[in-house]
Amino acid sequence: MQMDLDKISNLPGHIIDQILSNLSITEAVRTSVLSSKWRYKWATLPHLAFDNQCFPVSSQDHAILKNKLVNIVDHVLLLHNGPIYKFKLSHRDLLGITDIDRWILHLSRSPIKEFVLEIWKGQRYKMPSSLFSCHNLIHLELFNCLLKPPLTFKGFRSLKSLDLQHVTLAQDVFGSLISSCPLLERLTLMNFDGFTHLNIDAPNLQFFDIGGAFEDISFENTFCLTVISIGLYVNVGNEKRRAYANSSNLVNFFAHLPYIRRLEVQSYFLKYLAIGIVPRKLPTPCVHLNYLSIRINFNDVEEVIAALCLLRSSPNLQELEVLARPEEHATMATFTNCWEDNHCSLPFNQLRQVKIVGILGIKPELNFINFLLLASPVLETMSVKPASINGGWELLKELLRFRRASMQAEIIYLDP
Amino acid sequence: MSEGSMAVVKPEMKSYIWLQTVDGSIQQVEEEVAMFCPMICREVIQTGMGSSKNYAISLPQRVNPAILGLILDYCRFHQVAGRSNKERKTFDEKFIRMDTKRLCELTSAADSLQLKPLVDLTSRALARIIEGKTPEEIRETFHLPDDLTEEEKLEPLRNITDDPRIRLLNRLYARKRKELKERKKLKNVEVEEERVDDRSVDDLLSFINGGDEDTKGTRTSKNKKKNRRRKDQSKDSSLTNVNGNHNRELLDLPSACHEDEVNNVVLASPSTSSKLQDSAVVTFSPKLEFEDGDIDDDLDPAMKEELDREVEDFARRLNSDWPERMQEILSLGQERKFMPISINGNGSMGRYTSLDQR
Repeated sequence: MQMDLDKISNLPGHIIDQILSNLSITEAVRTSVLSSKWRYKWATLPHLAFDNQCFPVSSQDHAILKNKLVNIVDHVLLLHNGPIYKFKLSHRDLLGITDIDRWILHLSRSPIKEFVLEIWKGQRYKMPSSLFSCHNLIHLELFNCLLKPPLTFKGFRSLKSLDLQHVTLAQDVFGSLISSCPLLERLTLMNFDGFTHLNIDAPNLQFFDIGGAFEDISFENTFCLTVISIGLYVNVGNEKRRAYANSSNLVNFFAHLPYIRRLEVQSYFLKYLAIGIVPRKLPTPCVHLNYLSIRINFNDVEEVIAALCLLRSSPNLQELEVLARPEEHATMATFTNCWEDNHCSLPFNQLRQVKIVGILGIKPELNFINFLLLASPVLETMSVKPASINGGWELLKELLRFRRASMQAEIIYLDP
Repeated sequence: MSEGSMAVVKPEMKSYIWLQTVDGSIQQVEEEVAMFCPMICREVIQTGMGSSKNYAISLPQRVNPAILGLILDYCRFHQVAGRSNKERKTFDEKFIRMDTKRLCELTSAADSLQLKPLVDLTSRALARIIEGKTPEEIRETFHLPDDLTEEEKLEPLRNITDDPRIRLLNRLYARKRKELKERKKLKNVEVEEERVDDRSVDDLLSFINGGDEDTKGTRTSKNKKKNRRRKDQSKDSSLTNVNGNHNRELLDLPSACHEDEVNNVVLASPSTSSKLQDSAVVTFSPKLEFEDGDIDDDLDPAMKEELDREVEDFARRLNSDWPERMQEILSLGQERKFMPISINGNGSMGRYTSLDQR
């Protein structure tokens, strides 16, 4: 009778795996005490995730905690029986200890497809060479690690998604890593060091999210790249501007991005784009670009001119976000209105949504808003959120006066 | 008039698929509903079966008529295009409200029909039922037999590896057990009380030698009896003590064999280890059996001494905190309730929050 009622124990192994993979590793291992049939059911679980939810974070002595963590992972890996496809290790109390080397070596003998390692504390963890022999990797995500592949490393031939944050890589390592992952579709790079020249050679790359301090960026064979978010975390020095005086960063940047659909220009990257010759329009317009977000210093004429070039080259823009970077007050006494006389020749026939954030209400900003309202015949909403409450009334008064090309346009003032 | 004739004509225009369950009953099902199951769809396309009652598609054994009804309800709802995600979610939530036995049957049947979305749904539902429950509660919910002894529950989970050192130790334990057996025989002659209970010694030995497992119910009580006796023995017999330790060690050994570093990690907890010492021989896993031929009775005394030393050294270094930790893990079910829900379970969120902290 008992056996008849016990249906769950007789489910096929892959179903049990699926049920257990919806549980935390702790709960999954706990099932081993249920009954003799459940003794080792968890041991074939193909996905193992060790994170904060798995282990109680008590206010213990760090050495004890570390021992416990190491002990748990050791035991689970040793008792595990079967292929491991997904492994995640992310615990806020875990340092980059050498025990991880051993686990990665162990995993490298499995057909591991997804590997996530996040070292939340302490110094960069140097990835062991065994990681680079995981040929089946499809997704690799590392936080606070140092990568130095062995000389024999031939690339991750199956890798589709790479997420590196707070990582250290040598310049040559970075270049060869990207170009030796031929199937790479998604690349995230945040807060890296060891390399400053980014040459992205990735024929299948579709998504690229980068934020960090770098000197230059170039693309090669990136004809599939459609979504880019790019932030330069340091301002560009004057000597750089002179060095690039004869070329055009803006033209070079877009030369290999014919299908770009979404672009976010963050931090100081517009400044980088403004270096060198800025044409009135790009040689080839970005006809697929429908979303653009730019962070801009309205007081910087160079940035404004670069933004203008970008807007002129984006005829099919549907959504625009402009984030003012008002921290620098390089007041231009002889500031000319760059935005004037442009709207007639340049209508945004698709632009429906505009978001403007962080403005102070200064003249160049108002000129820009005026320009957008006049050049966007199908605009639906424009939301304006100033940086501070001061001058809110003045800003409102100005906004009310602007003529709008679109009958439907709604202007929404948002309190800061 | 025309409406009436339409109503008559309409059902005939619909196509049906004939399905047969394992009990022999045959039913016709709307084509679009039946074809929602990949297994049926493939059968129709590849073999042309299902077009009439005589050519009904035989469904897998795991799909009984009652469960088939449920599966068809699911398919009937989800095969309709244009339903919103919210509608589907609401349906799913209601759909899985059933007792666990039925839910398991449904999972199994959906799996055999390769109906992946339903398998995902029911697996998640089953996981949610398990989640946060104590082992007792899970057993009760799913009618699982409680067929593990307390010792087994605490016993470190066995690992099957082929480490030569394990084999060496196995042989040593076997030898020591043989010695123990001799001693016991002597004792049984000497001590009146123990002779009465010699049946349990036989049980013990058959257990050690990987003999038949006892019926579950009686085993626990016998173990208790044995434990009591062995406690008395261990006071005067250091050998028993060592032996007990080693059996536990053996189970922990794989982790310890890797590197010295690990050895240090595997820590001792005197209370739990002594508790287990008493029962270690009893709970020694029958699967880790060994050939009698492996037992080295004729070891060189010097080597024997060395091995003994090695074994004792191992015992000293290798007291594991696993039982303690297992208990901790097991009690987590209750503890969890008091713990704040961490947002860092999700990888990306963890990443971004940590970014902020940096």
